[in-house]
Amino acid sequence: MSLRYPSRTVAKAKRNLAEIFMRAIDVHTHPILREDRRGRTGAGPLLARARAHGIEHVVALGDVLVHGRSPTAAQIRRINDDTAWLVAQHPEFVTGFCYLNPTLGEHAVRHEVERCVARGFRGLKLEIANNARDACMRPVMAAAEHHGLVVLQHAWSMTKIRQRRYHTDPEDVATLARRFPNVRIIMAHLTGCGVRGVLAVKACANLVVDTSGAAPEEGLVEFAVEHLGANRVLYGSDVPVRDFGVALARVTGSRLDDATKRKILRENARALLRLP
Amino acid sequence: MNYFDANTWVGRWPFSFQPAHTPRTLVAHLRPHGVRRALVSPLDAVLAPSPGPANRDLLRTTRGLAALVPVPIINPGLADWREELAVVAADSRVRAVRVLPNYHSYRLRSRAMHALAAELTRRRLALIVQVRLVDERHEFHAMRLKGVPPTDLDRFLKQHPKLRVLACGLTRNELFKLAPEHPHLLADLSFVEWHDTLRDALTKASPRQLVFGSHTPFFITAASRAKVSTAAIRPRTMAAIAGGNLARFHP
Repeated sequence: MSLRYPSRTVAKAKRNLAEIFMRAIDVHTHPILREDRRGRTGAGPLLARARAHGIEHVVALGDVLVHGRSPTAAQIRRINDDTAWLVAQHPEFVTGFCYLNPTLGEHAVRHEVERCVARGFRGLKLEIANNARDACMRPVMAAAEHHGLVVLQHAWSMTKIRQRRYHTDPEDVATLARRFPNVRIIMAHLTGCGVRGVLAVKACANLVVDTSGAAPEEGLVEFAVEHLGANRVLYGSDVPVRDFGVALARVTGSRLDDATKRKILRENARALLRLP
Repeated sequence: MNYFDANTWVGRWPFSFQPAHTPRTLVAHLRPHGVRRALVSPLDAVLAPSPGPANRDLLRTTRGLAALVPVPIINPGLADWREELAVVAADSRVRAVRVLPNYHSYRLRSRAMHALAAELTRRRLALIVQVRLVDERHEFHAMRLKGVPPTDLDRFLKQHPKLRVLACGLTRNELFKLAPEHPHLLADLSFVEWHDTLRDALTKASPRQLVFGSHTPFFITAASRAKVSTAAIRPRTMAAIAGGNLARFHP
Protein backbone atom coordinates (compact mmCIF):
# COMPACT_ATOMS: atom_id res chain seq x y z
CA MET A 1 0.00 0.00 0.00
CA SER A 2 1.34 3.43 -0.94
CA LEU A 3 2.44 5.75 1.84
CA ARG A 4 1.84 8.89 -0.20
CA TYR A 5 -0.95 11.13 0.98
CA PRO A 6 -3.39 12.57 -1.58
CA SER A 7 -4.56 16.20 -1.36
CA ARG A 8 -7.93 14.99 -0.08
CA THR A 9 -6.14 13.50 2.93
CA VAL A 10 -4.23 16.69 3.60
CA ALA A 11 -7.46 18.70 3.46
CA LYS A 12 -9.08 16.32 5.89
CA ALA A 13 -6.12 16.53 8.20
CA LYS A 14 -6.36 20.33 8.16
CA ARG A 15 -10.00 20.07 9.14
CA ASN A 16 -8.90 17.75 11.90
CA LEU A 17 -6.34 20.30 13.01
CA ALA A 18 -9.07 22.93 13.19
CA GLU A 19 -11.08 20.49 15.26
CA ILE A 20 -8.13 20.02 17.58
CA PHE A 21 -7.73 23.83 17.63
CA MET A 22 -4.21 23.65 18.98
CA ARG A 23 -0.72 22.62 18.01
CA ALA A 24 1.20 19.85 19.70
CA ILE A 25 4.70 18.71 20.55
CA ASP A 26 5.05 14.94 20.66
CA VAL A 27 7.65 13.89 23.25
CA HIS A 28 7.48 10.17 22.51
CA THR A 29 8.02 8.94 18.95
CA HIS A 30 10.05 6.26 17.17
CA PRO A 31 10.01 7.46 13.54
CA ILE A 32 12.53 4.80 12.57
CA LEU A 33 11.38 1.41 13.76
CA ARG A 34 12.47 -1.64 11.85
CA GLU A 35 9.63 -3.75 13.23
CA ASP A 36 7.58 -1.71 10.79
CA ARG A 37 9.93 -2.92 7.99
CA ARG A 38 10.47 0.68 6.85
CA GLY A 39 13.72 1.86 8.38
CA ARG A 40 14.85 5.35 7.43
CA THR A 41 12.61 5.46 4.37
CA GLY A 42 9.51 5.25 6.53
CA ALA A 43 10.40 8.22 8.69
CA GLY A 44 9.52 10.89 6.12
CA PRO A 45 5.91 9.78 5.55
CA LEU A 46 5.44 9.31 9.27
CA LEU A 47 6.61 12.85 9.98
CA ALA A 48 4.36 14.12 7.19
CA ARG A 49 1.46 12.47 8.94
CA ALA A 50 2.53 14.11 12.20
CA ARG A 51 2.48 17.52 10.52
CA ALA A 52 -0.93 16.80 9.02
CA HIS A 53 -2.21 16.22 12.54
CA GLY A 54 -1.02 19.63 13.71
CA ILE A 55 2.14 18.40 15.41
CA GLU A 56 4.86 21.03 15.18
CA HIS A 57 7.74 19.13 16.76
CA VAL A 58 8.60 15.57 17.78
CA VAL A 59 11.13 13.94 20.05
CA ALA A 60 12.73 10.94 18.30
CA LEU A 61 13.74 8.25 20.78
CA GLY A 62 15.38 5.74 18.47
CA ASP A 63 14.54 2.17 17.52
CA VAL A 64 14.35 0.56 20.95
CA LEU A 65 13.09 -2.78 19.62
CA VAL A 66 15.47 -3.71 16.84
CA HIS A 67 18.23 -5.29 18.95
CA GLY A 68 16.26 -6.62 21.90
CA ARG A 69 16.37 -5.35 25.45
CA SER A 70 20.15 -5.08 25.89
CA PRO A 71 21.86 -3.78 22.75
CA THR A 72 25.64 -3.68 22.37
CA ALA A 73 27.63 -0.45 22.18
CA ALA A 74 27.86 -0.78 18.39
CA GLN A 75 24.12 -1.36 18.08
CA ILE A 76 23.40 1.63 20.29
CA ARG A 77 25.65 3.77 18.07
CA ARG A 78 23.80 2.69 14.93
CA ILE A 79 20.43 3.49 16.49
CA ASN A 80 21.60 6.93 17.59
CA ASP A 81 23.16 7.51 14.16
CA ASP A 82 19.71 6.91 12.67
CA THR A 83 18.25 9.50 15.02
CA ALA A 84 21.05 11.97 14.20
CA TRP A 85 20.34 11.45 10.48
CA LEU A 86 16.66 12.21 11.08
CA VAL A 87 17.46 15.36 13.07
CA ALA A 88 19.77 16.50 10.25
CA GLN A 89 16.97 15.92 7.71
CA HIS A 90 14.37 17.79 9.78
CA PRO A 91 16.29 20.10 12.13
CA GLU A 92 13.32 22.34 12.93
CA PHE A 93 10.94 19.45 13.46
CA VAL A 94 12.86 16.72 15.29
CA THR A 95 14.70 16.71 18.60
CA GLY A 96 16.90 13.69 19.19
CA PHE A 97 17.21 11.77 22.44
CA CYS A 98 20.22 9.52 22.90
CA TYR A 99 19.26 5.89 23.46
CA LEU A 100 21.45 4.21 26.09
CA ASN A 101 22.09 0.82 27.59
CA PRO A 102 23.32 1.63 31.12
CA THR A 103 24.52 -1.94 31.69
CA LEU A 104 27.38 -1.32 29.22
CA GLY A 105 29.12 0.65 31.95
CA GLU A 106 30.25 4.15 32.73
CA HIS A 107 32.80 4.53 29.94
CA ALA A 108 30.41 3.41 27.19
CA VAL A 109 27.60 5.58 28.56
CA ARG A 110 29.74 8.70 28.89
CA HIS A 111 31.25 8.22 25.43
CA GLU A 112 27.87 7.79 23.74
CA VAL A 113 26.30 10.72 25.60
CA GLU A 114 29.13 13.02 24.57
CA ARG A 115 28.91 11.83 20.97
CA CYS A 116 25.16 12.56 20.92
CA VAL A 117 25.38 15.89 22.73
CA ALA A 118 27.87 17.02 20.11
CA ARG A 119 25.20 16.26 17.50
CA GLY A 120 22.58 18.37 19.27
CA PHE A 121 20.64 15.72 21.19
CA ARG A 122 18.70 17.11 24.14
CA GLY A 123 17.82 14.07 26.17
CA LEU A 124 18.47 10.45 27.07
CA LYS A 125 16.17 7.51 26.42
CA LEU A 126 16.15 4.49 28.72
CA GLU A 127 14.20 1.36 27.93
CA ILE A 128 14.40 -2.09 29.53
CA ALA A 129 18.08 -2.98 29.72
CA ASN A 130 17.89 -2.54 33.48
CA ASN A 131 15.67 -1.28 36.26
CA ALA A 132 15.84 2.48 36.90
CA ARG A 133 16.76 1.90 40.54
CA ASP A 134 19.94 -0.06 39.59
CA ALA A 135 23.39 1.30 40.40
CA CYS A 136 24.30 1.40 36.70
CA MET A 137 22.02 4.43 36.39
CA ARG A 138 24.45 6.65 38.32
CA PRO A 139 26.71 7.57 35.37
CA VAL A 140 23.65 8.07 33.19
CA MET A 141 22.11 10.54 35.60
CA ALA A 142 25.45 12.22 36.23
CA ALA A 143 25.80 12.78 32.48
CA ALA A 144 22.24 14.08 32.28
CA GLU A 145 22.90 16.55 35.07
CA HIS A 146 26.24 17.62 33.62
CA HIS A 147 24.83 18.30 30.14
CA GLY A 148 21.39 19.52 31.26
CA LEU A 149 19.64 16.66 29.45
CA VAL A 150 16.10 15.41 30.01
CA VAL A 151 15.82 11.69 30.84
CA LEU A 152 12.90 9.76 29.37
CA GLN A 153 12.48 6.49 31.25
CA HIS A 154 10.22 3.71 29.98
CA ALA A 155 7.88 2.60 32.76
CA TRP A 156 4.88 0.33 33.17
CA SER A 157 3.11 -0.93 36.24
CA MET A 158 4.43 -4.50 36.16
CA THR A 159 2.80 -5.89 39.28
CA LYS A 160 1.42 -8.81 37.29
CA ILE A 161 4.08 -9.38 34.66
CA ARG A 162 6.97 -9.90 37.10
CA GLN A 163 9.90 -8.73 34.98
CA ARG A 164 11.04 -6.12 37.44
CA ARG A 165 14.65 -7.25 37.31
CA TYR A 166 15.02 -5.22 34.14
CA HIS A 167 11.62 -3.61 33.70
CA THR A 168 10.95 -0.32 35.49
CA ASP A 169 7.83 0.25 37.57
CA PRO A 170 6.58 3.77 38.35
CA GLU A 171 7.81 3.19 41.92
CA ASP A 172 11.32 2.68 40.51
CA VAL A 173 11.11 5.93 38.52
CA ALA A 174 10.10 7.67 41.73
CA THR A 175 13.22 6.24 43.40
CA LEU A 176 15.35 7.50 40.50
CA ALA A 177 13.77 10.96 40.70
CA ARG A 178 14.37 11.19 44.44
CA ARG A 179 18.02 10.13 44.05
CA PHE A 180 18.67 12.70 41.32
CA PRO A 181 16.48 15.73 42.12
CA ASN A 182 18.40 17.98 39.74
CA VAL A 183 17.63 15.88 36.67
CA ARG A 184 14.38 16.43 34.79
CA ILE A 185 12.69 13.09 34.14
CA ILE A 186 9.85 12.08 31.84
CA MET A 187 8.12 8.90 33.00
CA ALA A 188 6.79 7.30 29.84
CA HIS A 189 3.39 5.66 29.33
CA LEU A 190 0.74 7.14 31.57
CA THR A 191 -1.71 4.42 30.51
CA GLY A 192 0.75 1.68 31.39
CA CYS A 193 1.59 3.30 34.71
CA GLY A 194 -2.07 3.86 35.56
CA VAL A 195 -3.56 5.24 38.76
CA ARG A 196 -0.96 3.44 40.84
CA GLY A 197 1.89 4.98 38.87
CA VAL A 198 0.54 8.51 39.11
CA LEU A 199 0.27 8.18 42.87
CA ALA A 200 3.78 6.72 43.09
CA VAL A 201 5.42 9.77 41.48
CA LYS A 202 3.16 12.47 42.90
CA ALA A 203 5.77 13.80 45.31
CA CYS A 204 8.59 13.97 42.71
CA ALA A 205 8.64 17.57 41.51
CA ASN A 206 11.39 16.88 38.94
CA LEU A 207 9.26 14.25 37.20
CA VAL A 208 6.60 14.61 34.51
CA VAL A 209 4.60 11.89 32.76
CA ASP A 210 3.80 11.43 29.07
CA THR A 211 0.36 10.33 27.89
CA SER A 212 1.50 7.45 25.69
CA GLY A 213 1.01 3.74 26.21
CA ALA A 214 -1.59 1.06 25.47
CA ALA A 215 -5.14 1.78 24.38
CA PRO A 216 -6.83 5.12 25.18
CA GLU A 217 -8.29 4.18 28.56
CA GLU A 218 -10.86 6.55 29.97
CA GLY A 219 -10.17 8.89 32.89
CA LEU A 220 -6.40 8.57 33.27
CA VAL A 221 -5.35 11.92 31.79
CA GLU A 222 -7.85 13.68 34.05
CA PHE A 223 -6.59 11.66 37.04
CA ALA A 224 -2.97 12.58 36.27
CA VAL A 225 -3.80 16.29 36.03
CA GLU A 226 -5.78 16.15 39.25
CA HIS A 227 -2.89 14.58 41.18
CA LEU A 228 0.23 15.92 39.44
CA GLY A 229 -1.05 19.27 38.24
CA ALA A 230 -1.48 20.55 34.70
CA ASN A 231 2.23 21.33 34.34
CA ARG A 232 3.41 17.75 34.87
CA VAL A 233 1.59 15.95 32.04
CA LEU A 234 2.95 15.92 28.45
CA TYR A 235 1.50 14.65 25.23
CA GLY A 236 3.28 11.63 23.77
CA SER A 237 2.09 9.15 21.15
CA ASP A 238 4.59 6.26 20.92
CA VAL A 239 4.15 6.16 17.13
CA PRO A 240 4.45 4.03 15.07
CA VAL A 241 3.11 1.60 17.66
CA ARG A 242 0.21 4.01 18.23
CA ASP A 243 -1.85 6.28 15.99
CA PHE A 244 -1.37 10.08 16.08
CA GLY A 245 -5.11 10.67 15.84
CA VAL A 246 -5.87 8.38 18.74
CA ALA A 247 -3.02 9.72 20.87
CA LEU A 248 -4.06 13.35 20.35
CA ALA A 249 -7.69 12.56 21.10
CA ARG A 250 -6.69 11.13 24.49
CA VAL A 251 -6.08 14.77 25.39
CA THR A 252 -8.49 16.67 23.14
CA GLY A 253 -11.26 14.17 23.97
CA SER A 254 -10.70 14.39 27.71
CA ARG A 255 -12.89 16.38 30.12
CA LEU A 256 -10.10 18.90 30.79
CA ASP A 257 -10.46 22.60 30.03
CA ASP A 258 -8.85 24.09 26.93
CA ALA A 259 -6.03 25.84 28.79
CA THR A 260 -4.99 22.56 30.40
CA LYS A 261 -5.17 20.73 27.07
CA ARG A 262 -2.87 23.33 25.54
CA LYS A 263 -0.38 22.86 28.34
CA ILE A 264 -0.36 19.09 27.88
CA LEU A 265 -0.22 19.21 24.10
CA ARG A 266 2.43 21.86 23.72
CA GLU A 267 3.39 24.33 26.41
CA ASN A 268 4.78 21.90 28.98
CA ALA A 269 7.00 20.16 26.41
CA ARG A 270 8.12 23.48 24.98
CA ALA A 271 9.28 24.62 28.40
CA LEU A 272 10.89 21.29 29.29
CA LEU A 273 12.82 21.00 26.03
CA ARG A 274 13.51 24.77 25.89
CA LEU A 275 12.13 24.99 22.38
CA PRO A 276 11.52 28.40 20.81
CA MET B 1 -20.13 10.63 8.89
CA ASN B 2 -22.64 8.44 10.74
CA TYR B 3 -21.05 5.84 12.97
CA PHE B 4 -22.57 2.51 14.00
CA ASP B 5 -20.64 1.39 17.07
CA ALA B 6 -20.10 -2.34 17.62
CA ASN B 7 -18.80 -2.11 21.15
CA THR B 8 -20.44 -0.07 23.92
CA TRP B 9 -21.45 -0.83 27.49
CA VAL B 10 -23.83 0.36 30.16
CA GLY B 11 -23.44 -0.20 33.88
CA ARG B 12 -20.61 0.00 36.36
CA TRP B 13 -17.11 -1.43 36.04
CA PRO B 14 -15.58 -1.52 39.51
CA PHE B 15 -11.91 -1.56 38.54
CA SER B 16 -11.52 1.85 36.89
CA PHE B 17 -12.76 5.44 37.10
CA GLN B 18 -14.73 5.17 33.85
CA PRO B 19 -18.30 6.56 33.80
CA ALA B 20 -21.16 4.21 34.63
CA HIS B 21 -23.58 4.92 31.79
CA THR B 22 -27.29 4.32 31.73
CA PRO B 23 -28.77 3.81 28.27
CA ARG B 24 -29.92 7.44 28.20
CA THR B 25 -26.58 8.91 29.28
CA LEU B 26 -24.81 6.65 26.79
CA VAL B 27 -26.94 7.93 23.90
CA ALA B 28 -26.29 11.52 24.99
CA HIS B 29 -22.56 10.80 25.22
CA LEU B 30 -22.29 9.10 21.82
CA ARG B 31 -24.35 11.59 19.80
CA PRO B 32 -21.73 14.42 19.70
CA HIS B 33 -19.21 11.91 18.39
CA GLY B 34 -21.41 11.14 15.41
CA VAL B 35 -22.46 7.73 16.72
CA ARG B 36 -26.05 7.33 15.60
CA ARG B 37 -26.45 3.64 16.51
CA ALA B 38 -24.60 1.38 18.87
CA LEU B 39 -24.65 -2.22 19.96
CA VAL B 40 -24.77 -2.14 23.74
CA SER B 41 -24.25 -4.82 26.37
CA PRO B 42 -24.58 -4.73 30.16
CA LEU B 43 -21.40 -4.64 32.25
CA ASP B 44 -23.40 -5.86 35.22
CA ALA B 45 -23.73 -9.20 33.43
CA VAL B 46 -19.96 -9.72 33.28
CA LEU B 47 -19.22 -10.29 36.95
CA ALA B 48 -22.67 -11.34 38.18
CA PRO B 49 -23.37 -15.02 38.97
CA SER B 50 -25.84 -15.07 36.06
CA PRO B 51 -26.32 -12.54 33.25
CA GLY B 52 -30.12 -12.89 33.40
CA PRO B 53 -31.07 -9.92 35.62
CA ALA B 54 -28.71 -7.53 33.79
CA ASN B 55 -30.01 -8.70 30.40
CA ARG B 56 -33.60 -8.13 31.49
CA ASP B 57 -32.67 -4.67 32.73
CA LEU B 58 -30.91 -3.90 29.43
CA LEU B 59 -33.93 -4.91 27.36
CA ARG B 60 -36.25 -2.86 29.56
CA THR B 61 -34.17 0.32 29.78
CA THR B 62 -33.23 0.48 26.09
CA ARG B 63 -36.87 0.23 24.95
CA GLY B 64 -37.76 3.41 23.07
CA LEU B 65 -34.11 4.32 22.47
CA ALA B 66 -33.69 3.70 18.75
CA ALA B 67 -29.99 4.57 18.89
CA LEU B 68 -29.19 1.57 21.07
CA VAL B 69 -29.41 -2.02 19.90
CA PRO B 70 -29.40 -4.35 22.90
CA VAL B 71 -26.96 -7.24 22.78
CA PRO B 72 -27.56 -9.52 25.76
CA ILE B 73 -24.79 -11.63 27.23
CA ILE B 74 -25.07 -15.40 27.26
CA ASN B 75 -22.93 -17.61 29.46
CA PRO B 76 -22.95 -21.13 28.01
CA GLY B 77 -21.10 -22.31 31.09
CA LEU B 78 -24.35 -22.03 33.05
CA ALA B 79 -26.94 -24.79 32.99
CA ASP B 80 -29.81 -22.46 32.02
CA TRP B 81 -28.22 -20.79 28.97
CA ARG B 82 -30.89 -22.18 26.56
CA GLU B 83 -33.68 -20.68 28.66
CA GLU B 84 -31.81 -17.36 28.89
CA LEU B 85 -31.28 -17.33 25.13
CA ALA B 86 -34.96 -18.06 24.54
CA VAL B 87 -35.99 -15.18 26.81
CA VAL B 88 -33.73 -12.58 25.21
CA ALA B 89 -34.40 -13.81 21.67
CA ALA B 90 -38.10 -13.23 22.21
CA ASP B 91 -37.33 -9.51 22.00
CA SER B 92 -37.40 -8.65 18.29
CA ARG B 93 -34.57 -6.12 18.69
CA VAL B 94 -32.15 -8.87 19.62
CA ARG B 95 -30.24 -10.08 16.54
CA ALA B 96 -26.99 -11.00 18.27
CA VAL B 97 -25.67 -12.10 21.63
CA ARG B 98 -22.29 -11.50 23.18
CA VAL B 99 -20.07 -14.04 24.95
CA LEU B 100 -17.09 -13.40 27.25
CA PRO B 101 -15.27 -16.74 27.52
CA ASN B 102 -12.35 -15.41 29.56
CA TYR B 103 -14.58 -13.78 32.18
CA HIS B 104 -16.99 -16.71 32.38
CA SER B 105 -14.31 -19.38 32.48
CA TYR B 106 -14.95 -21.57 29.45
CA ARG B 107 -13.19 -22.04 26.14
CA LEU B 108 -14.57 -21.36 22.70
CA ARG B 109 -13.78 -24.99 21.96
CA SER B 110 -16.01 -26.23 24.80
CA ARG B 111 -18.98 -28.49 24.08
CA ALA B 112 -21.41 -25.91 25.48
CA MET B 113 -20.04 -23.25 23.16
CA HIS B 114 -20.55 -25.49 20.14
CA ALA B 115 -24.11 -26.15 21.31
CA LEU B 116 -24.68 -22.40 21.62
CA ALA B 117 -23.29 -21.86 18.12
CA ALA B 118 -25.67 -24.46 16.72
CA GLU B 119 -28.61 -22.87 18.50
CA LEU B 120 -27.69 -19.38 17.29
CA THR B 121 -27.42 -20.67 13.71
CA ARG B 122 -30.84 -22.30 14.05
CA ARG B 123 -32.32 -19.05 15.36
CA ARG B 124 -30.46 -16.96 12.74
CA LEU B 125 -28.80 -14.93 15.46
CA ALA B 126 -25.26 -13.61 15.23
CA LEU B 127 -22.49 -14.08 17.77
CA ILE B 128 -20.19 -11.44 19.18
CA VAL B 129 -17.08 -12.82 20.85
CA GLN B 130 -15.61 -10.32 23.31
CA VAL B 131 -11.96 -11.29 23.13
CA ARG B 132 -11.00 -8.94 25.95
CA LEU B 133 -12.49 -6.05 27.89
CA VAL B 134 -9.25 -4.74 29.35
CA ASP B 135 -5.59 -4.86 28.37
CA GLU B 136 -4.44 -7.93 30.31
CA ARG B 137 -1.57 -5.96 31.80
CA HIS B 138 -4.05 -3.54 33.37
CA GLU B 139 -6.57 -5.96 34.84
CA PHE B 140 -7.29 -5.60 38.54
CA HIS B 141 -4.31 -7.13 40.34
CA ALA B 142 -6.38 -9.90 41.96
CA MET B 143 -7.69 -11.09 38.58
CA ARG B 144 -5.77 -13.49 36.38
CA LEU B 145 -7.30 -13.15 32.94
CA LYS B 146 -6.00 -13.48 29.41
CA GLY B 147 -7.71 -12.73 26.12
CA VAL B 148 -9.53 -15.43 24.21
CA PRO B 149 -6.79 -17.43 22.44
CA PRO B 150 -6.77 -16.70 18.68
CA THR B 151 -6.23 -20.40 18.04
CA ASP B 152 -9.55 -21.14 19.79
CA LEU B 153 -11.33 -18.54 17.67
CA ASP B 154 -9.66 -19.90 14.54
CA ARG B 155 -10.87 -23.43 15.26
CA PHE B 156 -14.34 -22.24 16.28
CA LEU B 157 -14.78 -20.29 13.05
CA LYS B 158 -13.73 -23.30 10.98
CA GLN B 159 -16.25 -25.48 12.81
CA HIS B 160 -19.15 -23.02 12.41
CA PRO B 161 -18.86 -21.56 8.92
CA LYS B 162 -22.53 -20.56 8.73
CA LEU B 163 -22.56 -18.59 11.98
CA ARG B 164 -22.12 -14.82 11.62
CA VAL B 165 -19.33 -13.84 14.03
CA LEU B 166 -18.00 -10.46 15.10
CA ALA B 167 -14.85 -10.44 17.25
CA CYS B 168 -14.51 -7.42 19.54
CA GLY B 169 -11.22 -6.60 21.19
CA LEU B 170 -8.73 -8.37 18.92
CA THR B 171 -5.25 -6.87 18.97
CA ARG B 172 -3.46 -5.94 15.75
CA ASN B 173 -1.43 -9.13 15.76
CA GLU B 174 -4.50 -11.27 16.41
CA LEU B 175 -6.39 -9.53 13.62
CA PHE B 176 -3.49 -10.13 11.25
CA LYS B 177 -3.53 -13.85 12.07
CA LEU B 178 -7.29 -14.35 11.80
CA ALA B 179 -8.61 -11.96 9.16
CA PRO B 180 -6.91 -13.45 6.07
CA GLU B 181 -7.89 -16.99 7.12
CA HIS B 182 -11.52 -16.14 7.77
CA PRO B 183 -12.89 -13.74 5.15
CA HIS B 184 -16.38 -13.81 6.73
CA LEU B 185 -15.13 -12.81 10.17
CA LEU B 186 -15.88 -9.25 11.24
CA ALA B 187 -13.59 -7.52 13.72
CA ASP B 188 -13.94 -4.28 15.60
CA LEU B 189 -11.05 -1.82 15.84
CA SER B 190 -11.16 -1.06 19.55
CA PHE B 191 -7.82 -2.74 20.41
CA VAL B 192 -6.23 -2.55 16.93
CA GLU B 193 -3.72 0.26 16.64
CA TRP B 194 -0.66 1.26 14.65
CA HIS B 195 0.29 4.59 13.17
CA ASP B 196 -2.34 5.17 10.50
CA THR B 197 -4.33 2.27 11.93
CA LEU B 198 -6.77 1.64 9.11
CA ARG B 199 -4.28 1.64 6.25
CA ASP B 200 -2.20 -0.78 8.28
CA ALA B 201 -5.18 -3.02 9.13
CA LEU B 202 -6.26 -3.06 5.50
CA THR B 203 -2.97 -4.62 4.48
CA LYS B 204 -4.25 -7.88 6.03
CA ALA B 205 -8.00 -7.50 6.41
CA SER B 206 -10.54 -6.80 3.69
CA PRO B 207 -12.48 -3.49 3.89
CA ARG B 208 -15.62 -5.56 4.52
CA GLN B 209 -14.18 -7.18 7.64
CA LEU B 210 -13.54 -4.12 9.80
CA VAL B 211 -16.09 -2.29 11.93
CA PHE B 212 -15.89 0.73 14.18
CA GLY B 213 -15.99 -0.11 17.88
CA SER B 214 -15.35 2.59 20.45
CA HIS B 215 -15.39 0.34 23.52
CA THR B 216 -17.10 3.16 25.42
CA PRO B 217 -16.81 3.76 28.36
CA PHE B 218 -13.60 1.75 28.81
CA PHE B 219 -11.91 3.88 26.14
CA ILE B 220 -12.12 7.56 25.25
CA THR B 221 -14.78 7.67 22.54
CA ALA B 222 -13.11 10.50 20.61
CA ALA B 223 -9.85 8.57 20.52
CA SER B 224 -11.49 5.42 19.19
CA ARG B 225 -13.34 7.40 16.56
CA ALA B 226 -10.12 9.12 15.47
CA LYS B 227 -8.83 5.79 14.12
CA VAL B 228 -11.53 6.03 11.47
CA SER B 229 -12.06 9.78 11.09
CA THR B 230 -8.36 10.61 10.58
CA ALA B 231 -7.56 7.62 8.39
CA ALA B 232 -6.05 8.26 4.97
CA ILE B 233 -8.41 5.92 3.11
CA ARG B 234 -11.08 6.22 0.43
CA PRO B 235 -14.38 7.74 1.64
CA ARG B 236 -16.29 4.68 0.51
CA THR B 237 -14.10 2.38 2.57
CA MET B 238 -14.33 4.73 5.52
CA ALA B 239 -18.12 4.75 5.35
CA ALA B 240 -18.20 0.95 5.26
CA ILE B 241 -15.97 0.70 8.32
CA ALA B 242 -17.77 3.51 10.17
CA GLY B 243 -21.13 1.84 9.84
CA GLY B 244 -21.96 0.02 6.62
CA ASN B 245 -20.30 -3.28 7.49
CA LEU B 246 -21.95 -3.47 10.89
CA ALA B 247 -25.33 -2.57 9.41
CA ARG B 248 -24.94 -5.57 7.10
CA PHE B 249 -23.99 -7.81 10.02
CA HIS B 250 -26.78 -6.49 12.22
CA PRO B 251 -29.58 -5.31 9.88
